[in-house]
Amino acid sequence: MEAEADAGRLPVETTRPRTTMLQTAFAGRPMRAAVGLTAFFAIWQAVTQLNLVDGFLLPSPVAIAEALWQLALDGSLWIHLGASLQRVAVGFLFACIVGLALGLLCGWWRTVSDYVRPVIEALRPIPPLAWIPITILWFGLGDAASYFLVFLGAVFPVFIATYTAIRGLDRNQMNAALCLGAKPWQLFTDVLIPASLPIILPGLRIALGVGWMCVVTAELIAAQTGLGYLIQQSRMLFQINNVVAGMVTIGLVGFAMSAILERIERRVNAWAPSERS
Amino acid sequence: MTANLALATAAIPAAAPATAARAAAAEVQIDIRNVGKVYDSKTTHQAVIALDGVSLRIKKGEFISLLGPSGCGKSTLLGIIAGFQSASSGHILQNGRPISKPDASRTVVFQDYALFGWMTVQQNVEFGLKAKGLPKAQRAEIARALIATVHLSGFEDKYPHQMSGGMKQRAAIARALAPDPDILLMDEPFGALDAQTRVLLQEEIARISTEAGKTVIFVTHGIDEAVFLADRVVVMSPRPGRVRDEVLVPLPRPRTAEMRSDPWFVSTVKDLWETLKPEWQKGD
Repeated sequence: MEAEADAGRLPVETTRPRTTMLQTAFAGRPMRAAVGLTAFFAIWQAVTQLNLVDGFLLPSPVAIAEALWQLALDGSLWIHLGASLQRVAVGFLFACIVGLALGLLCGWWRTVSDYVRPVIEALRPIPPLAWIPITILWFGLGDAASYFLVFLGAVFPVFIATYTAIRGLDRNQMNAALCLGAKPWQLFTDVLIPASLPIILPGLRIALGVGWMCVVTAELIAAQTGLGYLIQQSRMLFQINNVVAGMVTIGLVGFAMSAILERIERRVNAWAPSERS
Repeated sequence: MTANLALATAAIPAAAPATAARAAAAEVQIDIRNVGKVYDSKTTHQAVIALDGVSLRIKKGEFISLLGPSGCGKSTLLGIIAGFQSASSGHILQNGRPISKPDASRTVVFQDYALFGWMTVQQNVEFGLKAKGLPKAQRAEIARALIATVHLSGFEDKYPHQMSGGMKQRAAIARALAPDPDILLMDEPFGALDAQTRVLLQEEIARISTEAGKTVIFVTHGIDEAVFLADRVVVMSPRPGRVRDEVLVPLPRPRTAEMRSDPWFVSTVKDLWETLKPEWQKGD
């Protein structure tokens, strides 16, 4: 009896951590993201306010917010943002069409891959920036040049993700579908696509991020609108606040795009091991 | 190919005539004629003979166990019967016609289940019915009945990752039965399950296969499993894969748990183990 009581007493540690309301509030990911971002801007504000950094070299968040507000009021922010978004959308769309198609072909047929992949792997290391001179030569200054640069930046991640996904398809699952009598179309829509989405979708997200960086690069040099152009123009006018306001917009919009896509991924790939931690 | 085991010529219990008569009355459904399979090894540039001159006639409604150690080509043979790969020599006829590609008259149950992870159990089972072009309502009805047969009712809307291994394999069996195939091919289906689940599922498959009257080809390296389930155990030897022995199982069907203690069963499993032991050890 005594031994039993002792044994009963031993493993019960009463120092279980008590969760306070504060801890519960900070358990959520959005909350943590908000705290992280707020802290970042607060430190930045403090650094500039205490004159640790010259306000001309790095404007304070408050000054940037004012600049953004002004740009939003006179409408130029929306025009530039709209132009950039439209360009990234078109370029990204083309990148998806080409990247998905090539990835599928190379993933499915070994022979196609043997011919096509060396070409792709040789083109891939050339940074979009190096493409700018020839892009302007081909397309002149304007939207087409931006589409092309976004396409160049985004097509490789789309291709690699698609290729990897198709190559990694479970042979047994394909065989199972075939022996159950699946026609090619059912095999494609009901097996091949859903099975490869857990790899393709993150690839698309990365591609969109790269495309977003490329559009700004293109606009710095080869456009008359867009956030890149806003930054470039403000630089010439020594409006450093607007330069950083443009950068902040690029950062926040990129963050939002990524967050939205990630949310879609979680929903679509809820069944996949990668989404289940 | 004649049984060189003493047990095959041993006195056959009273239940034998029924089984023998049933088998004799049925026509040959799968005719495996002198099938060989050679792989070209890409690394060593040496041909690997996976199967060598395998001949086997399987009658309609027969339950065949393909028994052998790993590397004996039994899964390769099953893959060729399914139509997933082609034979290097010889051919396989199904009802007199050569098998060239997979179709819904021969469905497969895989060791790793190969369920579609993005589909619910219901959708998985309906897959073959959808391929057949059955209307939605009918699909749902047939699938529900099959899910009940494998005792998974109530789990229709679960995804494979939400279920245990045994439940996944039940779902995979229901999915394979859905297109109403003539032949059920099972590739070490219980290999990844724990011992208790395996025994339970063996009894389930004994019941289901007898009820459905399907021809079953069951690949396994488990001797007791092979003998417990089959009308005929085909023993294969490794490197190159050949048919080495055949054992007719005279136990009546459906097989039930108590037959595991039948003296014939016990001695047959023991004798098979004694004969196969040297090869098994070599295989490792």
